[in-house]
Amino acid sequence: MRNKPAILILVFAAYICACGAVYAHHGNSAYDEARIVTITGTVTEFDFVNPHTQIYLDVKDAKGNVVHWAVESQSPGIMKRNGWSRTSLKPGDQITISLNPAKNGAPVGFSGKKTGKVVFSDGRELMMDER
Amino acid sequence: MRRCEKRLPLRNRWLYLAGTATLILFAAPVRSAQQQGAAAVAPAPAPRRDITGVWQYKAPGGSEGLAPDKDMPPMTPWAQERYDAEKPGYGPKASPNGNDPILRCDPMGFPRVMFALGPFELVSAPGRLLQFFEREHEWRPIWTDGRSIPVDPDPTWYGYAIGHWEDDFTFVVQSGGYNDKTWLGSTGYPHTDEMRVTERYHRTDHDTILYDITVSDPKAYTRPVVAPQRIMKLRPHQEIEEFVCVASDEQAFSKRINEPATKTPGK
Repeated sequence: MRNKPAILILVFAAYICACGAVYAHHGNSAYDEARIVTITGTVTEFDFVNPHTQIYLDVKDAKGNVVHWAVESQSPGIMKRNGWSRTSLKPGDQITISLNPAKNGAPVGFSGKKTGKVVFSDGRELMMDER
Repeated sequence: MRRCEKRLPLRNRWLYLAGTATLILFAAPVRSAQQQGAAAVAPAPAPRRDITGVWQYKAPGGSEGLAPDKDMPPMTPWAQERYDAEKPGYGPKASPNGNDPILRCDPMGFPRVMFALGPFELVSAPGRLLQFFEREHEWRPIWTDGRSIPVDPDPTWYGYAIGHWEDDFTFVVQSGGYNDKTWLGSTGYPHTDEMRVTERYHRTDHDTILYDITVSDPKAYTRPVVAPQRIMKLRPHQEIEEFVCVASDEQAFSKRINEPATKTPGK
């Protein structure tokens, strides 16, 4: 084990990498804040407008039927601070998005808490957190 | 170097080099984090008579009332009647189909805007301090030239504010001249056009303001509303973005998202 000191250094460095972040919280009485749903589908529209940005996408349900989802998120300014721009999404993009669904069961949700994020087909991720 | 080569067999040298390089790579961020941590513990002292800059209060729930329900004083019959008719989107009375004035893009007004998402910026100008709010993309002057609040001013959404330094680190703002069309916060609660507001911006260090606000409105509340102290942090690299309520976009949003999300199933 003559290499032990060097191995320990590398393990220590890997440990330092394993850091995370904590974000804030947003509430809205129309949505079920206790549930987080993750859906994957094809973007049909992205409205980067005030006071709420909106993402619309087609999602196949368990039976193969296409369900049109509407997702509310933060204002463009807050999205911008999360790395978004008006060109971040375009029709045809395949994305996975996590959201709080509407309490009434409609295919509508809010994505903007610390758990709300979009994962692109190439693995990139963008949050929509309050900041 | 020769001694070093003797101690380190050539086949293992790469491993030590990799380890050393890795340590150097991570030493800087760790040191930086430690410095930031140290800064959080002992930030720079507050400058004298200066609260300019971009500041942000982060409401725990994203949007909140002036004070928790338990801290709200008893209302007058006039205020109680108005409050009973309010259907806010947040707080104990939260309702998906509410009548919050901002849902039709009415101005949020002061003091509600202080507790909404988004930072504000204070800019010094001759005889006044200008306060710009990201939310609403709105602003108000806080006059510092010694004038008084006008007697019986025409009521406005953001009122008429004057300010003075109570000491080198405490800026006090008094305001009046508000209309009665706004709520005190996202949880509702009305006020009259005789509402007077007192704020204290107490800068405790370079990065921190302790913010106290008291609302006096005897025609609505039997005693002043004393809000819990809020902590506001300096955001030197943050820019004030455009967070306006666009009526046409809000209407489209309501039709496409809010209505489907709030209608009763089966109807």
